Amino acid sequence: MNKKAVILGVIVIAIVAGIAASVSSSTSETVNLDMGRTHGTISTVMGSAILGDPSAPITIVEFGDYQCHQCYNWFHNTKPAITRDYIETGKANLVFVDLAFLGNDSPKAAQASYCAEDQGMYWDYHDILYNSQEPKIDGGWANSERLKAFAFSLGLDMELFESCLDSGKYSKRVQYNIQQARDHGVRGTPGFFIVGPDGQQQISGAQPFSVFKQIMDPMI
Amino acid sequence: MIQSIKLVFSNFIYVLLSAIIFVSMMIGLLIMSEYIFLAPYIVSHLPSGTELGFVLILTLSALSALVIPMNIFRINILKSSKQKMSGGVVGSIIGAVAGACSCGPVGFAVISTFGSVGATATAFLTNYEIPIRIMAIAILVVTYFTTIKSLKLECNINS
Repeated sequence: MNKKAVILGVIVIAIVAGIAASVSSSTSETVNLDMGRTHGTISTVMGSAILGDPSAPITIVEFGDYQCHQCYNWFHNTKPAITRDYIETGKANLVFVDLAFLGNDSPKAAQASYCAEDQGMYWDYHDILYNSQEPKIDGGWANSERLKAFAFSLGLDMELFESCLDSGKYSKRVQYNIQQARDHGVRGTPGFFIVGPDGQQQISGAQPFSVFKQIMDPMI
Repeated sequence: MIQSIKLVFSNFIYVLLSAIIFVSMMIGLLIMSEYIFLAPYIVSHLPSGTELGFVLILTLSALSALVIPMNIFRINILKSSKQKMSGGVVGSIIGAVAGACSCGPVGFAVISTFGSVGATATAFLTNYEIPIRIMAIAILVVTYFTTIKSLKLECNINS
């Protein structure tokens, strides 16, 4: 009887732990497993995980650089309203694609974000980069040591993260994304494509929320 | 000082020139620095944390609109040397270039064309955008006072 109770207890604990783990990881982050993923004419297969509901009618494809101060402005001034009104309500989702061109630390920061994705923390790492951005390009805030420090502060497995970053595992992924940006005529960061059911619309620069609203509302 | 300004701007041509310089420079710089967007809609936007940059653009445009016509007046009317003209033009160009090279299309084009040299130049102009604009304003202020002094002497204006 005691043995049965112990086994039953272990099973119950395992089920509870499983449910707790799945709840804690059920953020709006969806890891990209679709190797042919496109949004409109853009191949986002090498881009970020989808932020928000993957089946949302609108996808915002953002081309950005972690050292770009206009991307920082957009992240802090426009993105919160878009997240609140469109992403959290299931009207839109967002994919980030790197156009890392501003300095030597830009491609490395982009690669680091994918190393964080390996551990299910892409968007947390993305956010920490834009929250930690300093005004100087290649001023050291996004060098290899700082990128590792950000990973450590998120509680990532440092052995995995460091081997990923130091080996340049995602170097070609970032290069592919940069090429996607060039192929689609993106000539600066941030650059956006709003992809709806009936087509796509390009927005250049850190434009205000009102512009996004004007474009997205008729698409819903 | 006021008499020198009155002397130059009593001629409508110089008022018009000043207005053209101010408007074109201000709008150009505001577009390049992403305070104004032309597509898909014409919209102006002043994100929080960028107020100083905005004020510096207005100051730079106003000073250029004041100093450049005064120097053109000196050259045209008094047939003076073009030496003092250079101060105003240099100040305006430095101020304009500082904001142009960033993550926008100009910076992207410079980096795409010139590679690592372009990237270094762009990084420098972006990192020191505010100090460079302040320096440009200082050059224009110095040029303004030297022009006023020169006009006083050459036109026998009593201050």
